[in-house]
Amino acid sequence: MSDALINALGLGIELAGRRIIDGVSLSADRGQTIAVVGPNGAGKTTLLRALAGLLPSEGELEVAGYDPRVIDAKTCAQTRAYCAQKPVSAWNYRVSDLGNIVGEPAGFADWLEKLHLGEFADRRLSELSGGEQKGAHLAMTFAALAEPFDGAMLLDEPAAALDLGRQEAVRQAIRFFAQAGAACVIATHDLSFAKQCDTVIVLSEGRLIAAGEPTSTLTPEIISEVWGAAASPSR
Amino acid sequence: MTATKAWTVGCVVLASLVILALSLGAQGWGWGDGGSLLLLRTPRVLAALAAGLALGIGGAAQQGVFRNPLADPGLTGVFGGALFGIAVLLGLFPDAAWHRAWFIPAAAFGGALGTSTLLALFGSGGSPSRLLLTGLGLNAFTAAGTLVIASRSGESRELLTNGAYGDWLGMATFELTWLPALLCLSAALLLLPLARSLDLMSFGEDAARGFGCDVVGSRRKAVLLTAMAAAAATCLVGQVAFIGLLAPHLARTLAGPRHAKVLPLSALLGAILLLGADTIGRGLWPQAPLSAAAVTAVIGAPLFIWIARGRHE
Repeated sequence: MSDALINALGLGIELAGRRIIDGVSLSADRGQTIAVVGPNGAGKTTLLRALAGLLPSEGELEVAGYDPRVIDAKTCAQTRAYCAQKPVSAWNYRVSDLGNIVGEPAGFADWLEKLHLGEFADRRLSELSGGEQKGAHLAMTFAALAEPFDGAMLLDEPAAALDLGRQEAVRQAIRFFAQAGAACVIATHDLSFAKQCDTVIVLSEGRLIAAGEPTSTLTPEIISEVWGAAASPSR
Repeated sequence: MTATKAWTVGCVVLASLVILALSLGAQGWGWGDGGSLLLLRTPRVLAALAAGLALGIGGAAQQGVFRNPLADPGLTGVFGGALFGIAVLLGLFPDAAWHRAWFIPAAAFGGALGTSTLLALFGSGGSPSRLLLTGLGLNAFTAAGTLVIASRSGESRELLTNGAYGDWLGMATFELTWLPALLCLSAALLLLPLARSLDLMSFGEDAARGFGCDVVGSRRKAVLLTAMAAAAATCLVGQVAFIGLLAPHLARTLAGPRHAKVLPLSALLGAILLLGADTIGRGLWPQAPLSAAAVTAVIGAPLFIWIARGRHE
């Protein structure tokens, strides 16, 4: 394996008899941002869960020097941050409760402000839109990290359903962590956001279609092949 | 209401209830000559307090583990399993069962753990109704098993039937109470440190593991301790549903959903509810007291329907 922070070689995942990820390899260096794109059902979420060590998978995997599939949950959380696609709580917490739950109320309040969600601190989660709830969960994820965090940052659709201002705030947060030395892997449907990343990985039906700089991966030919002719990276 | 206010009011209500419960009985008001009646009633009050505390916190923990506000060890078959464990012991070894103080609690724990494990295996995941339907099946099976054993064992028949109706508080003595009460208290104290894990687990397994929560370990501990609480409470009072549903629901309404508040407050409210139900049952019909389980069901059943309806809508 190389010196990269994230090293995955030939990852394969089968769920309920179906091949979801098939021989995907990727590596991410410190400070690098990688967008994982692809149509619905391409395997983006499954790949991120596998990188986070949340799913059993075939192949070699190393994140910050550990195999996240075998180390204990606490050590794992110190080496990688993971924000699920749609984390919905069974209980109707106040937004400010989330800071207490991760044991960092001040850090959480700070991140809530940075993500333009400070005004919601006293509201119940049920009073927030789906995008705002996701934003609050991102603040929870970021607040739980010891700063400076230079591990793997795995974010599943971090800016989905957020308005433009908050989307930009999320992008700034990702840039902040990348500058601090984290390797950020972001699953996204937003191709214009993917274009701003250092590397883009295109998945389709669990297989790696292309990997490299945005200019070489988000070409009209690949987009047409993977999404159909209607898609465009400038949307 | 803030959590502090809820605690203050709860403690005052509990203290008043304890005094009332110690002063009230078939022999009328008062503590008797030289406190003789007080001495007679104290084990019953202690048993109700310990069992109520375990039922309340056990319900909160089970709701947290299954992420389901309708979970209650009384409705999901865990108490049924505990009573079935006791029935098996009494049915197979009727004489040996009382030789050691821990035989009955151990049998109850075995039964409660068995149903808890089956519940976790077949009832978790999927829709919330899956948990309740699995619990319903377990409840039906253990109730049938208990009745079959009761009908075949002459000596234990009345005892087991009373247990199925949650009517064991009346036979509380210091000898029968101290060990299960200690187990109730221990289970409650050991559940408290799981508060943060239960909060994290409420966001789903992936999110919780993302934050470094040992989901499997925490779930295992919570299931074990809930079984222990249910088993110990069953030894004291028999089978009582709805306290484990009512107490956490009230606790969340009063102090918000964080488990650091919900778990201890559910324990306090569980103790109030069970002691209150027993005191009402004894106070209204001193000569033929109504069991605590019957009184809690009168309050709990409508609430269960109300919560279920709210969730559906």
